Amino acid sequence: MKCEHIKEFFPDFLVGDLKEDEMDMVRLHLAECEACRAEIEDLSAVWTKLGVLPEQKPGEGLRSRFYSMLEHEKRDLNRMEERKSFRLRAQNFFADLWPKQPALQAAVSFLFLAAGLTIGLLMKPGAAPSTEIAQLRREMQDMRQAWAVSLLEQESPSERLRGVSISSRMEKPDEQLLNALFDTLNNDPNINVRLSAVDALYLFHNNPEVKAGLIDSLSRQDSPLVQMELVDLLVSFRERRAADALKTLIQDEKIDPAVKDRAEQGIQKLSF
Amino acid sequence: MAQSMNDTTLMEMVRDGMVEKLAILFERHHVKLYNFFLRLSWNQGLSEDLVEEVFCRILKYRNTYRAESKFTTWLYQIARNTHIDHLRKVKEELPMEEQWVETESTDSNPEEEVAQGQDIQFIREALARLPLKKREILLLSRFQNLKYKEIAELMGCQIGTVKATVHRAIKDLSKIYIELSGGVSP
Repeated sequence: MKCEHIKEFFPDFLVGDLKEDEMDMVRLHLAECEACRAEIEDLSAVWTKLGVLPEQKPGEGLRSRFYSMLEHEKRDLNRMEERKSFRLRAQNFFADLWPKQPALQAAVSFLFLAAGLTIGLLMKPGAAPSTEIAQLRREMQDMRQAWAVSLLEQESPSERLRGVSISSRMEKPDEQLLNALFDTLNNDPNINVRLSAVDALYLFHNNPEVKAGLIDSLSRQDSPLVQMELVDLLVSFRERRAADALKTLIQDEKIDPAVKDRAEQGIQKLSF
Repeated sequence: MAQSMNDTTLMEMVRDGMVEKLAILFERHHVKLYNFFLRLSWNQGLSEDLVEEVFCRILKYRNTYRAESKFTTWLYQIARNTHIDHLRKVKEELPMEEQWVETESTDSNPEEEVAQGQDIQFIREALARLPLKKREILLLSRFQNLKYKEIAELMGCQIGTVKATVHRAIKDLSKIYIELSGGVSP
């Protein structure tokens, strides 16, 4: 083996990161080659010598400056959140009234026209039958659901959040919307969207399928935040299936210790 | 409970809005980071300022953190940029002797203390004479416990380049040390 080739292993040799066969190869060469032996001895001596440089501690001022910066950031963040949520509430109030998709816009316009005509008919003496109003209401509800589903499929996370928020205001979401919400909960790349999907679905947990879907979702999540949110929710179900899901979760070796703690506490609560 | 969380999870939480979790990362890494800057600049006040600036940038750019990259790799990438930006600002490196305070030695033998003090002095000077890139790479691998692969990732170069640089840096350091100590090998 040529010296040049062996020398390529020296940096790994210094940090003790050589594989066994590489180490044997280097040792074998060093036993025969005096020049390389002298070089690695010299390199090792400098590497060790660097250890004389002591590790120093920074002054306490650094810590207090850091914590005051962090406090400042937290305050700014809270203030921004408050402002944002007020703005969002105001915006949503108006924006929710009007869909983004041109097809839906046309449909809503048509519905308004139909509603206007119906009201017109109702205003006339000898009013129209109330089934027409019920039908109109159903149509409006269907339209809102379709709109929520289409928002959940948008690329922008804020649009998808809006879809979740509209879904949570449905009285009785249909299967298509529930499927879209579960798809969001289990597959959405954005953690905030997933978290809000947990909250929205919780509102419909009286539906046995929703409850089963939420229990099933725990094993599909990889974010500790979503896992913790689901653990709390499952505990509130007070059901054997939920306890089983928590037990399966804590057996997972890759689980975050904080989530494991929360799940163990949950199991204890459920066993009372 | 939160103490046992790994750096990546904590940084993800910071990114997702739980900025208070940055305190745990600060407590875990600020001393090592401070010493990285200290060994680059030999200036205590500046090193503290740079540590503060790094954590300020982490907060500012927290949305860009991707969990695929190890937290320390990202941290030292920011640290390196912060240092380079500082150098650009002052246009020249600060004198190494500024504000250096020797740490107390636990060794009670005065002769050994003197010898070790001299060693520290030679190594410091030798390090200071290395070109910046060599010094950075050597410090990252020797003191910050980063793997060559991680250093290559944060410097944006090939792993072979990192290894070759470490090799050359130590050889240079050895030569400078011998020169400074009047012919004594390290």
